[in-house]
Amino acid sequence: MPDVQSTVLEFVNKLRKRKIEGSQATAKCTVELLRSVISQQRVPHSNQASALIDAVKAVGEQLVAANPVELAVGNVVRRVLHIIREEDLSLATAAMAGLDLLDASDDDGEDDNCKGVGYSAMSAAVAAAAARSTLRPPSLQTLLEGTPESAAVPYTSSSGADSESKTADKSSITRKLKHDVIEGVNHLILEISGCHEQIAEQAIEHIHQNEVILTLGSSRTVLEFLCAAKEKKRAFRVFVAEGAPRYQGHLLAKELVARGLQTTVITDSAVFAMISRVNMVIIGAHAVMANGGVIGPVGVNMAALAAKKHAVPFVVLAGSHKLCPLYPHNPEVLLNELRSPSELLDFGEFSDCLDFGAGSGSPLLQVVNPTFDYVPPSLVSLFITDTGGHNPSYMYRLIADYYSADDLVM
Amino acid sequence: MDFLERATETHLRRIFSRKQLKRKKNLKSMWRRSASFILDRSSNSPPMADTTQTPFQNPDAISAYYQTRAAHHGVITSDWLAQAQAAVEQPDSSVSDLGAERSFNVIDEFNGWRKQPDLAEAVAAIRAMAAVIRASEATTMMELEIELKKASDTLKSWDKTSISLTAGCDLFIRYVTRTSALEYEDFNSAKSRLLERAEKFGEISCKARKIIAMLSQDFIFDGCTVLVHGLSRVVLEVLKTAAQNNKLFRVLCTEGRPDGTGVLLSNELSKLDIPVKLLLDSAVAYSMDEVDMVFVGADGVVESGGIINMMGTYQIALVAHSMNKPVYVAAESYKFARLYPLDQKDMAPALRPIEFGVKIPAKVEVERSARDYTPPQYLTLLFTDLGVLSPSVVSDELIQLYL
Repeated sequence: MPDVQSTVLEFVNKLRKRKIEGSQATAKCTVELLRSVISQQRVPHSNQASALIDAVKAVGEQLVAANPVELAVGNVVRRVLHIIREEDLSLATAAMAGLDLLDASDDDGEDDNCKGVGYSAMSAAVAAAAARSTLRPPSLQTLLEGTPESAAVPYTSSSGADSESKTADKSSITRKLKHDVIEGVNHLILEISGCHEQIAEQAIEHIHQNEVILTLGSSRTVLEFLCAAKEKKRAFRVFVAEGAPRYQGHLLAKELVARGLQTTVITDSAVFAMISRVNMVIIGAHAVMANGGVIGPVGVNMAALAAKKHAVPFVVLAGSHKLCPLYPHNPEVLLNELRSPSELLDFGEFSDCLDFGAGSGSPLLQVVNPTFDYVPPSLVSLFITDTGGHNPSYMYRLIADYYSADDLVM
Repeated sequence: MDFLERATETHLRRIFSRKQLKRKKNLKSMWRRSASFILDRSSNSPPMADTTQTPFQNPDAISAYYQTRAAHHGVITSDWLAQAQAAVEQPDSSVSDLGAERSFNVIDEFNGWRKQPDLAEAVAAIRAMAAVIRASEATTMMELEIELKKASDTLKSWDKTSISLTAGCDLFIRYVTRTSALEYEDFNSAKSRLLERAEKFGEISCKARKIIAMLSQDFIFDGCTVLVHGLSRVVLEVLKTAAQNNKLFRVLCTEGRPDGTGVLLSNELSKLDIPVKLLLDSAVAYSMDEVDMVFVGADGVVESGGIINMMGTYQIALVAHSMNKPVYVAAESYKFARLYPLDQKDMAPALRPIEFGVKIPAKVEVERSARDYTPPQYLTLLFTDLGVLSPSVVSDELIQLYL
């Protein structure tokens, strides 16, 4: 346990100092850390799912607090919690089915036994239905049903089986849950690592011959996407807006040229001027919110507005670890990060304007350097995730699949 | 009508012209103290022999739902609420007495519940259905279901305009048909469970309001200006909770003719020390640029994700949309209805009387509809007890329930 704690602290420090760049890398590191937490967590014999959930939640809260702007951290923590709940549920239903079989197997033809089988089958069905509804978000269906019993109930339901076989069953269940959860987490890591390929596979359906694509800043997903289309022998051109003040568009342009694509570099301010000659705008997202809004590199809101004005499709590429179940109520402020003004202005030249010592103590010249931009869902035409292309109004569905309602508030 | 009733009616007619008045005897003293009056058509209608007869139809097609709401909004002060609560306890006993002589009248029961000002329509409907279960002499589940179906149809046909009534009935019938086959072999335990669930539903309604208030807290930030239209108890709860959390915000509320909801809302809000400004309904576009968000309740949420609400909501949503202001709707989940209006006139008409203060020539028509439909593209988010939803999620929820 102590060495897990030290790795957690180390990771928290890295997050706080923003040493890890990029949501994919952050997500992968977070999941690996959680996997080691789970494997080292000692679980009691009964109700182990809640022990695991509590452990993961405790670590998750620390991680989210370290870097609240990096939404991928919170997302994968919630994914892991959802995996734990799901595995617990499937084990519970399997266990009940197992208990029923056990009853049916020692068939003596006695009345008690038959009644016992019938009763346990029905109560099993009830408990399964109740447990299923705990996993789903509250809905109209469950409105009248009241609070369902916890998933721990099936373990305590009495049946005609002898106690020996029951305890043998239970200990195998004990080992199974952790094993299944770790398997699920490994699957999640594979999913996160492979998101670029999954998205790039769909490139051929969206990019056609002789099209002009506009992109802003640099995103590895976009790079893979465009190159995949190029590989399938589609000839097209790319406009890259440079993405001041970090000028990552320059790096992207270099990469694209290295792969043989015709590229044009433009300034951010030229986006509106060039948008009429563009067929499609493709950008990579930093995070996608539950209402379908997009957090992207600064400047994408401008590109989205320009695209809307000229009826150019605005396509956003996002891996599943970027889907966040929260609704943004003030994204420009709360989900944004202000970087150093030195990226914009050279301290040497402006040292007298930025002098904190002079006069009232606050300089007349202020510099604002936000990292992210929020694009409302009405401006986005299509989301391409590793599961396929979706409407912005459909994102809530994916989120309902990946996350449980209980984990939304951490 | 006796002398006293006639005198008071003349008195009222002098102040409030052209309003139909019927009063209950046991509220006379209460009425004198406050300037409110209760509309109750059905208590004066002749008792019906059994529920299968055609229910009393309003010849004027005036919506009973909106009349009841107007009654609630007479002058709502907190002590009036307490008095009304006490007053409505008494008629219940008279209803159950009559029930001994003739067969059970679900509509009377429903009206009894509906008069409680803090109770939502759907909850009153479900409580009435619970009373049907209690009074039923069925011995099998099928029989009980048929009785409930009949009662639900009676309720729905008595007031075709109330959406939450229809939704509440449908929800309960759906729940009964789904759970009856599953769990219990013993009829009496099933019946008692249904009864218990139905009676618990009232708590769900109050809990729903609290959940909605909690969810919307993040969206009300310090220094914001909220525009409110109509008097929704859910929106009032939202604003109350925000005030209790020491958020600094101010409210612009529309006058809300002809119900006068603006004055009522401003009464309630000034008690909570929230700065309120009253606007004419026509002043909404004028003030929209200083507004940060629009908050409305809903009479019903339809399948497309749009809402049906007091007349004027559509107008405000259009203005807000054109000026890029978010429109938030606070509605409990049992208001989701299986309707899909294609335009404004595509719903059952709900008319209400409108006074202009002066005499209108006979040839002039008056648009008396009490509600309008706001399409989903003008709504930003819906706050429900199922969580924060975008309008497209509503149809998903409905499909899950009805399929």
